[in-house]
Amino acid sequence: MLDSLVSGIFNGNARSISRAITIVENDGDSDTVRNLIREIFPRTGNAHIVGITGPPGIGKSTMIGRICSLLSEQGKKVSVVAIDASSPFTGGSLLGNRIRMQESLTKHGVFMRSLANRGLTGGLSRSIWDTVKILDAAGSDYIIVETVGAGQADLDISNLADTVVVVLGPGLGDEIQAIKAGIMEIGNIFVINKMDRQGAYIAMKDIEETLAMMPRGEWKPPVVGLNSMNGEGYDKLLDLIDRHRTFSLNHPEVRMRKFRTELQMHIDEELRRKFRKDISGILQDDSRIRRYLEDHVDPYSAAEGIVEEIA
Amino acid sequence: MSEGKSLEPGKNQSLFNERPIKILLAKPGIDGHDRGILVLAKAFRDAGMEVIYAGLLPTPEQVVDTAINEDVDVVALSLLNGAHMTVFKKVADLMKEKGVKDIAIVGGGTIPDADKPKLERMGISGNYGPGTQISVIIDHIRKRAEEVRKLKSAGQ
Repeated sequence: MLDSLVSGIFNGNARSISRAITIVENDGDSDTVRNLIREIFPRTGNAHIVGITGPPGIGKSTMIGRICSLLSEQGKKVSVVAIDASSPFTGGSLLGNRIRMQESLTKHGVFMRSLANRGLTGGLSRSIWDTVKILDAAGSDYIIVETVGAGQADLDISNLADTVVVVLGPGLGDEIQAIKAGIMEIGNIFVINKMDRQGAYIAMKDIEETLAMMPRGEWKPPVVGLNSMNGEGYDKLLDLIDRHRTFSLNHPEVRMRKFRTELQMHIDEELRRKFRKDISGILQDDSRIRRYLEDHVDPYSAAEGIVEEIA
Repeated sequence: MSEGKSLEPGKNQSLFNERPIKILLAKPGIDGHDRGILVLAKAFRDAGMEVIYAGLLPTPEQVVDTAINEDVDVVALSLLNGAHMTVFKKVADLMKEKGVKDIAIVGGGTIPDADKPKLERMGISGNYGPGTQISVIIDHIRKRAEEVRKLKSAGQ
């Protein structure tokens, strides 16, 4: 079964890709997932991963629809993953990104998947790293990842994407002040969407000024204005994405940083897996918990003692 | 399950460590009456499902492509314009054509009783009309999702 799934992915078969994503989504740390990723990994590394982030309602999904059309017309293979929030109360989710881009998806046969974040904060979902690998192995030239409508702290996308596009707009007013501390630091390209609206040029200037005051490396994040109603500015955006792609290919430290983060994530998971049983056994041990309480042991010391015991 | 229990906040079946039911809601064909389907979308979300709404006026082809891309457990079709015998059938036929057996199709809307057995034979179950308790619909979807989940894990 795994073999046919893997060959389906390599052939770009939508059902195989889709089923593989379900498996990584639902069976996170199973052996099936590990074997699947091992099998497809040799064929990954060719796609350019573009992360799109910004506050809710700013036009990210509409923008992705336009980008899909333009790239597809250039003969590029594009895939899209969009993440929406799960309710922390019910675990349910309304995945609404697809509606805004459906026309473009249908016209160009673009593969698009909606994922719920299932409780992971940071703007992504746990399964996204593996999902991107599947789409990469399926021969995508570009993988566009849309984050949950992001605020100041949803910065994980910078550990996943090769190029991070931060989308802002007019009318955010003081909100731009509020989000700039976090989100202004992760953008490789800044977009002001809805340039037809009042205050758009002021917003653009605000962002340029904020960027000018920040310590910057070799890549100076540009700001581009878009009008998603008529497509103005999109040629410039695509050109900037490609320029940043060339830049990141010439700077291996970008890829190293990303791999380091992913590795850290998996090491944490491995450690947890290794000791999970022991730890939950200890936590279920009533007499031990009672003893801690009777002896009035502080939680730091208790935890240290437990880890020493099992490691 | 007692009535309405499936809608209690914080006490639903699918929490993060489980695998929420994924469902696509669609009104294929020419029918803009979406109040009902939007109410259902919210109810399903609150019942712990991951819900995708296909928007207004999707074609049957779009519905099937979306169902495959998203690998949903259930496709829920709704029409209030009387075209269900044509359009629901088209969706079911396309699914068959593409060899998709592990996605359930359920229906709803203004569907005459005489049509229900015919839809059932196409594999489209439920076919609830106005006035149905939401919890009845949710229970039906959970049942169908459980069935196809078994097929899916057998296929893995």
